[in-house]
Amino acid sequence: MASPTLEGLANSSTNVDDPKLSASSSSRPSSSSRSSDLGERRPQPKLQVPAGLQARMGKKTNSVQELRTQVMEGEFKIKHLGLLGVLVWILLLHVAGIFFFTKGFLLTRMVLDNKSSCKILPFDDSSHAPAWTAGRSDKGCWHQKSFDKAIVIIIDALRYDFTVPFAPSVESEQAHLFHNNIPVLYETAVNEPEKAFLLPFIADPPTTTLQRLKGLTTGTLPTFVDAGSNFAGTAIDEDNLVAQLRAAGKNLVHLGDDTWHSLFPDYFDTNLTRPFDSFNVWDLYTVDNGVTANLFPLLHPDNATKWDVVFGHYLGVDHAGHRYGPDHSTMGEKLREMDQVIRNLIEMVDDDTLLVIMGDHGMDSKGDHGGESDDEVEAALWMYSKKGMFGRTSTETARPPKSPRERFVPQIDLVPTLSLLLGMPIPFNNLGSPIEEAFAGTYGNDVKNLAAVNRLTSAQIKRYQHEYAAARGEDHSLSLGSLEYWSEAEQTFAKGKSDAILRSAYDSYRQYQRGTLEICRGLWANFDVPSMIQGVLILFSGLALLVFYARGLKVNRTELTGSLLTLAGAGSGLGGAVGSVIGVLGFVDMPIIESSVLFAAFGSIIGAAWSIFGSQLSPPLPNSLWGWLSLIFTVSQSIGFASNSYTIWEDEILLFFLSTFGVVAGVSSMRQKATQDRVLGLYHSVLFVLLGRLASFSRLCREEQMPFCRSTYYASATSSTSAPWQLAIPFLVTLIIPAVIKAYYTGSKSYEGTSSLWIGVTFRLGLLITSLFWILEGADDGGWFNVSKEALKSSRMFLAQFVFAIAFGAGTTAYMYAKPCISINVSKGSPDPEKPASPSGQQPGRTTVTILGFGNVYGTRFFFLVVNFGLAVILMQKPMGQGAIGLLLWQILSLLEILDTNALATTNVSIGPVVLGLLGSYYYFKTGHQAVLSTIQWETAFIPLSTVKYPWSPLLVILNTFGPQILSAIAVPLTVLWKRPLQVQEPGKTDNPSLRLLSDVVQAVTTHILYLGTINLATTMWAGHLRRHLMLYRIFSPRFMMGAAVLGVVDVVVAFVGVLGVRWCGLSVGEVFGW
Amino acid sequence: MTSAPPSPPHRTGTSSSSSSNPTQSQSNASASAQAPPPKPPAPAVSILPGQLARVYSFAHPVLLLGLLAVRFKKFVEDPVSELFGDLPVLAGLQVLYAVVCLPPAGAPSSKGTTVESSLGGSEGTVLKPGRIGLRRKHAKEAGISVKVVPALISLTLTTLLATPILSILLVLFGAPLTTHNLETLLCAAHMAVLSATALVYVHGVDGSTWREVWGVGRPADAVWGGALGTGVGAWFGAVPIPLDWDRPWQAYPITILTGAYIGYALGSLISRSSCLYGKRIQFTPEVEEDMDKKTE
Repeated sequence: MASPTLEGLANSSTNVDDPKLSASSSSRPSSSSRSSDLGERRPQPKLQVPAGLQARMGKKTNSVQELRTQVMEGEFKIKHLGLLGVLVWILLLHVAGIFFFTKGFLLTRMVLDNKSSCKILPFDDSSHAPAWTAGRSDKGCWHQKSFDKAIVIIIDALRYDFTVPFAPSVESEQAHLFHNNIPVLYETAVNEPEKAFLLPFIADPPTTTLQRLKGLTTGTLPTFVDAGSNFAGTAIDEDNLVAQLRAAGKNLVHLGDDTWHSLFPDYFDTNLTRPFDSFNVWDLYTVDNGVTANLFPLLHPDNATKWDVVFGHYLGVDHAGHRYGPDHSTMGEKLREMDQVIRNLIEMVDDDTLLVIMGDHGMDSKGDHGGESDDEVEAALWMYSKKGMFGRTSTETARPPKSPRERFVPQIDLVPTLSLLLGMPIPFNNLGSPIEEAFAGTYGNDVKNLAAVNRLTSAQIKRYQHEYAAARGEDHSLSLGSLEYWSEAEQTFAKGKSDAILRSAYDSYRQYQRGTLEICRGLWANFDVPSMIQGVLILFSGLALLVFYARGLKVNRTELTGSLLTLAGAGSGLGGAVGSVIGVLGFVDMPIIESSVLFAAFGSIIGAAWSIFGSQLSPPLPNSLWGWLSLIFTVSQSIGFASNSYTIWEDEILLFFLSTFGVVAGVSSMRQKATQDRVLGLYHSVLFVLLGRLASFSRLCREEQMPFCRSTYYASATSSTSAPWQLAIPFLVTLIIPAVIKAYYTGSKSYEGTSSLWIGVTFRLGLLITSLFWILEGADDGGWFNVSKEALKSSRMFLAQFVFAIAFGAGTTAYMYAKPCISINVSKGSPDPEKPASPSGQQPGRTTVTILGFGNVYGTRFFFLVVNFGLAVILMQKPMGQGAIGLLLWQILSLLEILDTNALATTNVSIGPVVLGLLGSYYYFKTGHQAVLSTIQWETAFIPLSTVKYPWSPLLVILNTFGPQILSAIAVPLTVLWKRPLQVQEPGKTDNPSLRLLSDVVQAVTTHILYLGTINLATTMWAGHLRRHLMLYRIFSPRFMMGAAVLGVVDVVVAFVGVLGVRWCGLSVGEVFGW
Repeated sequence: MTSAPPSPPHRTGTSSSSSSNPTQSQSNASASAQAPPPKPPAPAVSILPGQLARVYSFAHPVLLLGLLAVRFKKFVEDPVSELFGDLPVLAGLQVLYAVVCLPPAGAPSSKGTTVESSLGGSEGTVLKPGRIGLRRKHAKEAGISVKVVPALISLTLTTLLATPILSILLVLFGAPLTTHNLETLLCAAHMAVLSATALVYVHGVDGSTWREVWGVGRPADAVWGGALGTGVGAWFGAVPIPLDWDRPWQAYPITILTGAYIGYALGSLISRSSCLYGKRIQFTPEVEEDMDKKTE
C-alpha cells in the first residue's frame, strides 16, 4: 500500500476534501473535534487511497493485503451477526415481559361449561304448586312461548340517533346527513305500540363486532382478552342462544357477516346459509345485496317450513361509516336502503314470526368503533310482531326515548328476552334481564307475566352465581350483597296474589339482576397481580441492563457480544430447565411452558448482567446538557403517563419537546466556533422547529380532546374521507421531498452514482404513482369519472402493488448491490483550475483523483433504506398523512445535520436516537392516529389487496399505523453514520475500525430502544397501577397496548431492517475504500 | 432553555448566509483575520453600589411577584385587558429598576469592583461598543441623559424585536396560531419586557455579548439570570395547562406568564448568590453541576 508511486495520488485524494469545504454551505464536517481528527490523519495520506481505486488504477494489491481485507470483512460480518443476536435477545425479553403482564392485566372470566336444560327449571319449585311444567318444547321450555320463528337482523353499527327523528340539542344545530333516513323503526313504534318497540341498546365495550356477537348470544360480559382477536374469531364454547336453538332441533339460517361462522361453526343450515367476507370495509354493497337477495326468498310461504330462525347481518352501514364517516351522503343512502328492507320485511313477515332489528354497536364521529365512547356503545333495538303483543307499563315509556340518557336496555338483555319468547331455556351464563316491553302484555299491565319471567331469569342468575363460586373455589364474593334482593323478592312473590305485590316482587327481581350484573362487572376486573408483577420485573430488569449496555459500556460492544450471548443463553437454558422442573413438580400454579419461559427470562437476565457488569463500565449518567435533555424528555413523558390529561394531550406535549430540542439545538449552534457550523446549525434548527410546527396542523382529535381540538385529517370531523384539496398533498410531496433529499445529498456532493437515479427518478416515480392512486380513490368516492367501480378498483390496486414492487422489490435489491454515493474522477496531467490553493502546493502534471461525496459515504448509502421504506409508508397513508411523512423525512434529515454541525454524531450522544423516538411518536399522531383502538385505519389493508390475505393484511395495517415509528427506527443508525468520517485501519495497528462503527450503531439503536422501552415500561406500570381507574379502558389500557405494540414493532424493525442494513452499507463502503 | 431575549439585527439574517452578518460578528467568527482585535464579551454585571440600588435590587423582583399576586384574580378573569393595562406599569418598573440598579450600556464595566459614579458614555457612543477609548474619555461626565437614552432604546428594541420573536417562539411551542393572537402577543410583550429591557440597557447592542446571549453562555448575574429565568419559567409554566382540573387559571397564557414572572424573580435573585455568580452554563461534558442546574 505504501508504494512510493502512490504518493502523489494519495496526496490528491486527500485534497479532494478541500473543494467541498469551500464549495458549498453544507459540506464536510468542520466542527472542532472532527477537524482535529482529520488533521491528524492528513500527515498519513496513504491511508485514504481507496482499495478499489487502486485496483482500478491497475495497481496490484498483494496477496497479504487481500488476505487482510478478507479477514476484516469476515470479522465485520461475524460481529454484525452477533449484534443481531443481542438485539433478538432484547426483543425476546420484551415479548416475555409484555406477555406476562398482559396475561395478568387483561381481564379474565372463568368460562363455565354448564348448559341450561329445557327440562330443568332454574329453581326448585317443590314448595308451592309448579307454575309451569318444564321440558315441553312445543309450548316452551320454561315459560309459555310467544313465537315459533324469528328473523334476527343485525345492521352493523346502527347507532340509536340514526333511528329517531332529529331533535336539535342546541338552537342552531342542523340535521346531519345520517339523521332521519331510517324512520320506519320510530314510526311503527309510535303508531303501533302493540306491534313494535324501539329502545337504545347499550353495548358493553369493546365495541367490536366479534365481542358484541358473543355478548348478544351468551348474555354475559365480554372480557378484554378477546378484544384483539377480531382478525381471527374463535368458536364460542359457552352456553348460548344459538346453541340452545340448535339443541332444540331448530333449523338455523345465517346470512351476511362471516364472523358468525368463526363463532358458531356448523350450527347453520348449509344449504340456505350464505356467509360473506366481513373485512373488506371498502365494499359497501356485496354483503348487503347478498343478504337481501337470500333473505326474501325465505319469507315466501313455500319456504316457510325450511327454517326456524334466520340471523341476517348487514355490514353496509358499518362500512360506510369506516370509509366515509357517518356524515356523508353514502350513509344516508345506505340507511334509506335499510329502511326499505325493513318495510319489505314488515310486509312479508307472518304472525308467528318475531322480527328483531338491532345494531351491535354504534360508531364515533368518524364512523369507527371499538372503544367505549357514548357514540360507540349506543346502538338501537327494535322488535316487531304482527300479532301485536308488546306493551308499555307507563306513559313515560310510551314513546321511544329521544336519547339513550332517558332510558336504555343493555345488549345482554336480548338473550333472556329472545330465549323466553322463543320458548328456549335461558343460557346458563346469562346476566341480562327480560325486556319489559316484550312481556308486559298489550295493555302493559300483565304484571304476573313480568314477575314470572323475571323470577326465571333471576333464578338462573342465582344458579350461575352458585356454580361460579363453587368452581372458583373461593369465597362467595360473587353472591355477596345481591342475594338479599333475591330472598326479598322470593318472599314477596310467594305471598303475592295482587298486582301491587307482584309488581314489587318484579322490582326486587329486577334489582337483584342488576345488582348481580354490577358485582360481576367489578369482579371480572379481576387482575392476576403476580403475573403482572412478573412481567413488569422482566421489563424493568431488561431495561436496567440496557441502560448499562447502551450508555455505560466503555469497551467496544462487539467485543462483549460473545460473552453476553453465551452467558445469556446459558442463563436462559438453565432457567428454562429449572422452570420446567418446578412446573412439573407443581411448586407454582402455572403451566410448565409459562414457568420455564419465566425462569428462562430471568436466567438470561442474570447471565447477561454477569457479562455486562464484568466489563468496564462508567456510570450511565448524562454527562452533557444533551444527555440531560434526553433523560428529561424520556422521564418526564414517562411520569406524565400516570395522568390521563398528559396521555390525552400527548401529541401537543411531543411538539413541545421537539420545539424545545430545536431551540436548544439553535442555542448550541450559536456556540460553535466555526461560522459555517454556526450558520448551518442555526438554519437546520430553525427548519426543524418550523417543520415540526407545520406538521402539527395535521391532527385527528380524540374524543377527550374536545372541544379544544379541531380535526383536520379528514374532510370533516364526521368523515373519514379526504377533502378534495387534500388530494394535492401527495403531488406536493412528489415535487418537494425528492428535491429536499437531493439538496441534502448535494450538500456533501453525494448526489452521485446510484442516488441520482434512485432518488431523482425511481423514488419520484413511486411518489407520483402514489398520488395517482389517491386521485383514483377520490374519484371512486366522489364518482367523478364515468368508469365502473370495479375498473377503478383494479387499476388502483395495480398502482399500489407497483409502488410496493418499487419500494421493496427493486428497492431492496438496489440497496443490497448499490455502490456508495460517490463519483471518482481520475484526471492525469492537467492542473485543476478549481483548486488554485492546494495546501501542499501540488505541481501540475500529477495524477489527480477527485472523489465527490467522500464526506458522507456511510450516511448517503444507508439513507436509501429510509427512502425505500418511506415510499412504502407514504403509500399506506391517507393524503394528509403523506404530507406528514414527507415532513418527517425532512425533519430527520435536518436532525442529522444538527447532530453533525454540533459534533453530536461522533460523540454518540443519546439525544439523536431519543429525538428520533420523539419524532416517531409525534408523527404517529400526525398520520391520523390516536392512542385509542378506533383510530386504527383497518381499511388501509385494502390499498394493495382486495381481500384479507394473511400475513399481508395485518402487516399492511401495521405499516399504516406504526409507519412513522418504523421510519424513525430505520433512521437511527444514521445518527452515527451521517457524515461519519471514513475510518480505515492505520498501518501497524491491528484493530478493525469497522467494529467501532458497528459498536456505535448498536449503541445508537439500543439507546432508541431504551427510550421506547422506558415509555413502554411506564405505560405498563401505570396501567397496572391504575387498574381500578375509571378511565382504564378509555385511556390507560389503549396507551399500554400502543406502547407494547410500538416496542415490539420497533425491536423487530431495528434488528431486521436497520442494523441488518448496516451490513450492506459497511460492505459496499469497505469494498471501495478498503477496511 | 426557551429563553430568547431580544434579537440584535444580525439574527434574522443568519439563516440565509453568513455574509449578511454585520461586520463585527464576522470578525469574531473568523477570529484572526481582521485588524481591530475582537472586543471580549462583557463580564458579569454587578448591581450598582449605592444603598438605594442594593435595596431596590432585592425589592424589585419581590415587588413584581407581589404585583402579580395582587392582580392575579383580574388576570384570570380577563387576561387580555389586564395584560394590556399592566404592560406600561411593568415597563416602567423595569426601566426604574435598570436606571436605579444597573450600569447603562457603555459605562466602564464594574468588574465586580466599585465604580463611584458608574455613569458613563455620551449618548453618541453608547451603542458603539467598539470605541472604548472614546467612551473612557467621557466616562466621568455625569448626566441623567446617559441613563435615559439607553432606557429608551432598550424599550424600543424590546417592543420592536423581542416581542415579535417571542410571539413566534410561543406559537412554535404550540400556542394557537389562528386564535388567541392577542394573548400570545401580550404574553410575549410581558416576557420581552421582563427579560430584555435590562439586557439591552446594560449591554447595548454589543455583538460579542449578544452572541453569548444567543448561545446561553452569559456568566450568571442579576440581568442574565432574570432573562434566562423568564424563559425557563415560561417553559415550566406550560406544564399545568393540559391537566383536567378545570381551573380558570389553566387557560393560556396565564400559567406561562406566571411561570415567567416567578422564573424572572428567582433567576435574578439566585444568580447573584456567591455560588452561582459569574458561572456559565456548559453544554459540553466538562462541568456537570451547571448542566444539572440549567436543565432544572
